[in-house]
Amino acid sequence: MDRVTPSPGRGIFLAFGARHIKGVAVSRWIVTVCFVIAAVVLLAFGHWWGALYFLPAGLNGSLAYLVPRWNLLRDAPKNVERVRELQRSRALVVDDAAARLRRIEQDLHDGAQAQMVAVVMKLGLARDHLSTSAARLQGADLDRALELVDAAHRGAMVAITELRDLARGIHPPALDEGLGAALEGLAARSDLPVEMVVDLPERPSPAIETIAYFCAAELLTNAAKHSGAQRARLEVLHQPGLVTMRVSDDGTGGARLEPGGGLAGLAERVNTVDGRLRVNSPAGGPTVVTVELPSHV
Amino acid sequence: MRIVIAEDSAVIRAGLVEILADRGHETVAAVGDAQALRAAVDEHEPDVAVVDVRMPPEYTDEGIRAAIAIRREHPGTGVLVFSQYIETRHAAELLSATSSRGAAGVGYLLKDRVGDVGEFVDALSRVAAGGTALDPEVVTQVLSATRRTDDLDTLTPREHDVLSLMAEGRTNGAIASTLVISERAVEKNVANIFSKLALAPSDTDHRRVLAVLRYLES
Repeated sequence: MDRVTPSPGRGIFLAFGARHIKGVAVSRWIVTVCFVIAAVVLLAFGHWWGALYFLPAGLNGSLAYLVPRWNLLRDAPKNVERVRELQRSRALVVDDAAARLRRIEQDLHDGAQAQMVAVVMKLGLARDHLSTSAARLQGADLDRALELVDAAHRGAMVAITELRDLARGIHPPALDEGLGAALEGLAARSDLPVEMVVDLPERPSPAIETIAYFCAAELLTNAAKHSGAQRARLEVLHQPGLVTMRVSDDGTGGARLEPGGGLAGLAERVNTVDGRLRVNSPAGGPTVVTVELPSHV
Repeated sequence: MRIVIAEDSAVIRAGLVEILADRGHETVAAVGDAQALRAAVDEHEPDVAVVDVRMPPEYTDEGIRAAIAIRREHPGTGVLVFSQYIETRHAAELLSATSSRGAAGVGYLLKDRVGDVGEFVDALSRVAAGGTALDPEVVTQVLSATRRTDDLDTLTPREHDVLSLMAEGRTNGAIASTLVISERAVEKNVANIFSKLALAPSDTDHRRVLAVLRYLES
């Protein structure tokens, strides 16, 4: 909002009080106001011709001030409607993105992941058969075949693990059973002991659950990685219309919302649904990060 | 073994049938959803059922619900749940579901474990015989989740190792060879675990399960 035209009153005030304002902008409003005053005073005293001298510039300046404001006022109802429309379409987009991610995870689960498990089964079986025949026949070719199958088997096992992590990063399946269940699993996988306080009498919308989950995941990872904490605490409370999540740890503090940092990324994600993320992390600790989200997009 | 398989992915279902046939086991039914699984178990009373977690219609935890129901209603049928993901909560629910007539074997493995055919079939046999087979991943998660409980904090690292192998369903002999210690030493560790977790002396197998449950429920 740097380029808002200063109002005449503010211009005069600034002309006396603040020198860093651009001289041009300030003097223009001062001149306008002076011209208007001069025109009114001269009119009041019946000096028509004198008033005519000041009137055009005064009117011109006043119109320059009034017209945009009048336009704003005139368009206000239209703009309110437009904002509502944008909110509606954003909610659709956010919901659609959440549903799409769930579908991608499902497709991975039913497709690539299942196929890989089948591959691993066949390779495992092949390896077992080869190793029993290799023991019996002692062939060099057989040994080589066994080696290859063994390597393929190991590679496929790694691929399954990577696929699983990837799928979980796209949409944690446990979220389908609710945010509480998913957070429980998250806490169980955390490197720190996590004390959980979950009060979720009703389920928020899926997109909100997803954002809350990924915030908790990132915040718990931060606590375990950077804070030197011994334990963490995860509280989630759902009051009508508002989900509040608080992640705290007993670490050394000093976490900050820096542009491009992990916390800023989370804050941006939270902002997409008009939520808020606050960080309280004095040097020496403890760190408390509070995330507030609407129940529904 | 007589086995019922419930898995919605056709390729994995076919693969499982192939593996089990290769090892000389009989698949009496291979179905694609939880309802058909319940019907097949009712009909065939198999030694063990292999159950996928995500199945139609909702693709969430239908398999776990069905597995719990089977454990409650069919004390003669072991249940091996296998899944793309490990959720500690599912493990705890599964292990704590028992019928009044006692409980059959139970297992919870990641799907990738079928890659090691020998180990997978061993785990399945353990479950069919009334034993336990928990994925090392369950044990790892449970171990990290239980660091906060006081009872388990008193265990030595060696006792932790023994308990985690117990949770995987290994016998004392198998634990001894994995940790390269004598079976006598394993027995001593197990006794220490029981006393530290304040499990009253009764049937040893039962106490083993209780120790594992203490692990999972904390």
